Amino acid sequence: MNPSSPDSSTQNAADLIDRYLQAVRFWLPKSHRQDDLIAELGEDLRSQIEDKETELGHGFDKTEMAAILKRCGSPMMVAGRLGPQRHLIGPALFPIYEFVLKMVLLWILVPVFVFILGPVNLANNGGNWALAVANTFGDLWSGLFIAAGIITLVFAIIERTNTHLGTEIKWDPLKLPPVQKDKRKPSLLKALCEFGFNIFGLVWLLLVPTYPFLILGPAAAFLKAAPLLHTFYIPFVLLSVVALIRSAVTLARPQWTWFPLLSQLLHSVLMLILLRYMIQAITHAPSAFPFVVLQDAVRDSAKYIKIAAIVNVSILISVAGAWLGLSIAAIVQTWEFLRYLRNRTSSPRQIAPIGAQ
Amino acid sequence: MANGTQGSSEILENLKLELRRGCLIVAVLAQLRTEQYGYTLRKALADDGLVIDEGTLYPLLRRLETQGLLVSQWREEDKRNKRFYHLSPAGDLILKQLLEEWESINASLNKILQEASL
Repeated sequence: MNPSSPDSSTQNAADLIDRYLQAVRFWLPKSHRQDDLIAELGEDLRSQIEDKETELGHGFDKTEMAAILKRCGSPMMVAGRLGPQRHLIGPALFPIYEFVLKMVLLWILVPVFVFILGPVNLANNGGNWALAVANTFGDLWSGLFIAAGIITLVFAIIERTNTHLGTEIKWDPLKLPPVQKDKRKPSLLKALCEFGFNIFGLVWLLLVPTYPFLILGPAAAFLKAAPLLHTFYIPFVLLSVVALIRSAVTLARPQWTWFPLLSQLLHSVLMLILLRYMIQAITHAPSAFPFVVLQDAVRDSAKYIKIAAIVNVSILISVAGAWLGLSIAAIVQTWEFLRYLRNRTSSPRQIAPIGAQ
Repeated sequence: MANGTQGSSEILENLKLELRRGCLIVAVLAQLRTEQYGYTLRKALADDGLVIDEGTLYPLLRRLETQGLLVSQWREEDKRNKRFYHLSPAGDLILKQLLEEWESINASLNKILQEASL
């Protein structure tokens, strides 16, 4: 047979349909009544072509057939439309999945790795910060992937086994939490208290060198500040001044809703840097009495040496505790500030409550 | 500005798709009061102004059949095997209820549009 004859051309065109259907079949799920669908699609295509051929008065050649198939779409796309709607986690379960994922990854895994595994890594690496941070973040990264994978798998199993979960969740409208007030606007009372407290703190800090009993109590009779505290005294005073200015600006400019969040975050970061330097200074110049030392008159008293040691250990624990607390606070403040920025960019207008118009 | 135009045309397309989705079911059920196979059904719908592609029609027919609203049968016609569909008694009942609902929605919509134009 001549390959360019009309019969050959029609045969080539029919062959093209079979090839197209085979390609569609490849992308269809095996269990989804494949034969049935392919037969029906094939019948549709043949009927379409037959209609067109009758209209044109001649048989289709390969190029014309290719144009028809091209209009139908790629085999993968056609199979996607013909096959069942597939998703790993459906719309009913997705909000719960997203919530669990956020809770586990951001609020459990990240703090555990940073505040528990981080110090362990630091101890294991002999105090090498760079190595400890690199190891912790490496572990955190793989931990996040594994946790996300497990959570997704669990939810995919729930989705497969119980597709009606979303409609079965029991809830009571009367138990819904009350409407949250806008937390961003600081109350006048809170701003006033903060301002007063900062004035009191600064005055107290300025009086401490002259009246050491303000910090040491009765122990001021036999204890005095060590040189390390003298070194860090001025930076602490400056930070107190910054805090005072911060609360004054908050009070004077309540419309600057971004200011309290950002300034609090910056203050926490500065405080962390200062405490970090303090801890570093203690590590580099090891002394049994880094914070307070005995007055000259009682320098050799065994009883007072013991008390001085206890006071120093207590202050050291307080400094370490403050560093840890501030680290957590800084993370929370960063999160709050980013959320504030996101809300500001995504919803420029406040939605008025129903009935408020 | 160009992005805005593109965005609004996309929104319009999505809304049109949503609007069509429910109407197509009613149209398919109504057409299948008389027995037809896939291609002739598609053609009949297109002739009446509702163009529907293969990828939308065949999954819809399967879903309606699984729900018991349609009955299908493979049969030879013009030397080719074709799958013929027609409305089941349950489908007939559902179609009547859907048409009542459609008329009610249509009446409400007309009323709303008239009120809005006053």
